[in-house]
Amino acid sequence: MKPRTQVVLLATLMSATAWGQEVSLYGTTMAQMWKQETPGFDKSTFTPATQYLGIDATKLGTDNLSLHLFGWGRTDLSDPSTFDGSKSGGYLNYGYLRYRFDQANAEIKAGRFTINQGAGMEQVDGVSARTDLRGGFAVSAFGGKPVYFKTVDPRAQADYEFQRDFIFGTRLSWRMPKIGEFGLSYLQDGTKAAKDLDIPSPVDYTRKQLGADIRIAPTTIFDLRGRTLFDVASHPDTAPGSPERSRIAEHDYTATVKIGSQVAVSANFAERNFFAFFAGTNLPSLFRQDEKDMFRGYGSSITWNTPWNVQVVADFRHMHRETYGDVTRVGGELRWANSEKTYQAGAAGHYVNAANALLVDATAPYRSLKHGEARLWGMATKGKFTASLDGILQRYSEANPYLNGLKNVYEVVGSLGFQATSNVKVSGDVSYGSTPVAKNETRGLLRAEYRFGFAKKGGR
Amino acid sequence: MARKNVLQLFAIALGLGILTACSLISPETSFAATHPQELGAGRPVCSECHSNDVAKGALKPYASFDHTPTFVKDHRFQANQDSNTCASCHAQSFCADCHGGKVPMKPATRFSNRPDRETPHRGDYMTLHRMEGKMDPSSCYACHGRANNDKCTACHR
Repeated sequence: MKPRTQVVLLATLMSATAWGQEVSLYGTTMAQMWKQETPGFDKSTFTPATQYLGIDATKLGTDNLSLHLFGWGRTDLSDPSTFDGSKSGGYLNYGYLRYRFDQANAEIKAGRFTINQGAGMEQVDGVSARTDLRGGFAVSAFGGKPVYFKTVDPRAQADYEFQRDFIFGTRLSWRMPKIGEFGLSYLQDGTKAAKDLDIPSPVDYTRKQLGADIRIAPTTIFDLRGRTLFDVASHPDTAPGSPERSRIAEHDYTATVKIGSQVAVSANFAERNFFAFFAGTNLPSLFRQDEKDMFRGYGSSITWNTPWNVQVVADFRHMHRETYGDVTRVGGELRWANSEKTYQAGAAGHYVNAANALLVDATAPYRSLKHGEARLWGMATKGKFTASLDGILQRYSEANPYLNGLKNVYEVVGSLGFQATSNVKVSGDVSYGSTPVAKNETRGLLRAEYRFGFAKKGGR
Repeated sequence: MARKNVLQLFAIALGLGILTACSLISPETSFAATHPQELGAGRPVCSECHSNDVAKGALKPYASFDHTPTFVKDHRFQANQDSNTCASCHAQSFCADCHGGKVPMKPATRFSNRPDRETPHRGDYMTLHRMEGKMDPSSCYACHGRANNDKCTACHR
């Protein structure tokens, strides 16, 4: 969509809020500041100012019609803080009209929205609809123009927009009370595959995916959820003798069993074949399909909600990757909150054992994936004042070539806030840390949050 | 004449199709647009109030929506199947806090005054991503595989 069209669309949508009987406006204004001195580079001072703004307008003429807008803008008041050197930027995250029917959980959306429907989680400029059907069935569908995300070098994406001309998807599901839900979904992004172009491109940004998702929840004590994703696009023939590539992009399943009212045990299994899973990426140099590789992980966690307002979690995860071998992550977390949740605190620690990892980096054969992480935090609310402190420490092996001789990397963030009115809160943060790039780094941040109108939700 | 007949047949078929589709739509009332009571701070445990009920629309026990650590980690399944249920408490902007498609700063910085939230990439993630990316690049893909990756190309060309 051209910038001029976007501005006209945005102005039209915003003017529509005048018809809303319940309009809420919310936003956050943030000003950051930090200085950076890197050997070999000029000293830099960064002072980006960022504005987030959202509008929800409901009852636009009818009780069922609403408008939702959210976006941000940023400008650098001194040196540019972005990699592409630009000193300003902005983005419309979503802006859509929604009609919600009183029956069958049916709704229609039109505009820019994020779709999360079976096989795809995509931003679309288009239309979507869903409804429940008789017999526990439900159907949803969307179609439109995919929102483009260009990378820094446009030459690498010369035919990106040409390939991704249209996106559509659908999901059909069946629900049964106290049994669960089964869903089938399909997604097609782009109709001009790279191999079908007049001059075939080596990079294919299009994709076709078929998904099957499941949720088994027969009682309050057992829950199984997960999905399997297939790559169903037609790809160019591989060279003779090449290994067969799996069409299964992903398996991801989690089961949870609750033992009494205090303890829950979860187990997860996931497997992803990169050739199929990374299909259609706009960053093929990083999410590489050309290497035959696969990830497989399994893990478990135990959560105990004690009677003393403390939540205890212990977890482990084993991860296997064909090219780099095996690593295991183990750890735990404690969370405490008083009954009114005016005081909260947490502590966590995790350790990654990479004893069975294979060669990670040919240029640095001693490099290891082994590391540990510890975190401690606290929050307090007293009257109109809030305070928080959050510290995180990551400890690596000394031989890691990316650490410039450091072994411990840490950051501590302190924040003080004041609730000026029921709608306005101001806060200031100071962070101090040590990283391989900046051995002593201090950052400041000022934040103003405000919310006006009739909003009944927000999830904060 | 033949073309007119084809159009008439198409119009009749379309009308019958719409009538059939409408008769298939569930007669049930929609799920509540907003939660009727204000919820307190922190992660809600739905089953504390809705002990053995099945959530209308979702047709699953309310215990399935308890915001346990596993639920928070795997919330994509919930959002995929029961976005209406999520929407009764969460505004769309809550999702966009992390899943904005393109964001000006990492969520851990934006919400550095909320250490209780599970915001990704706390601390010096630039260093840590070299390990996590080797261990499991598929975990990066959900957010950076097709969007929000212009910074990635500064090094990964």
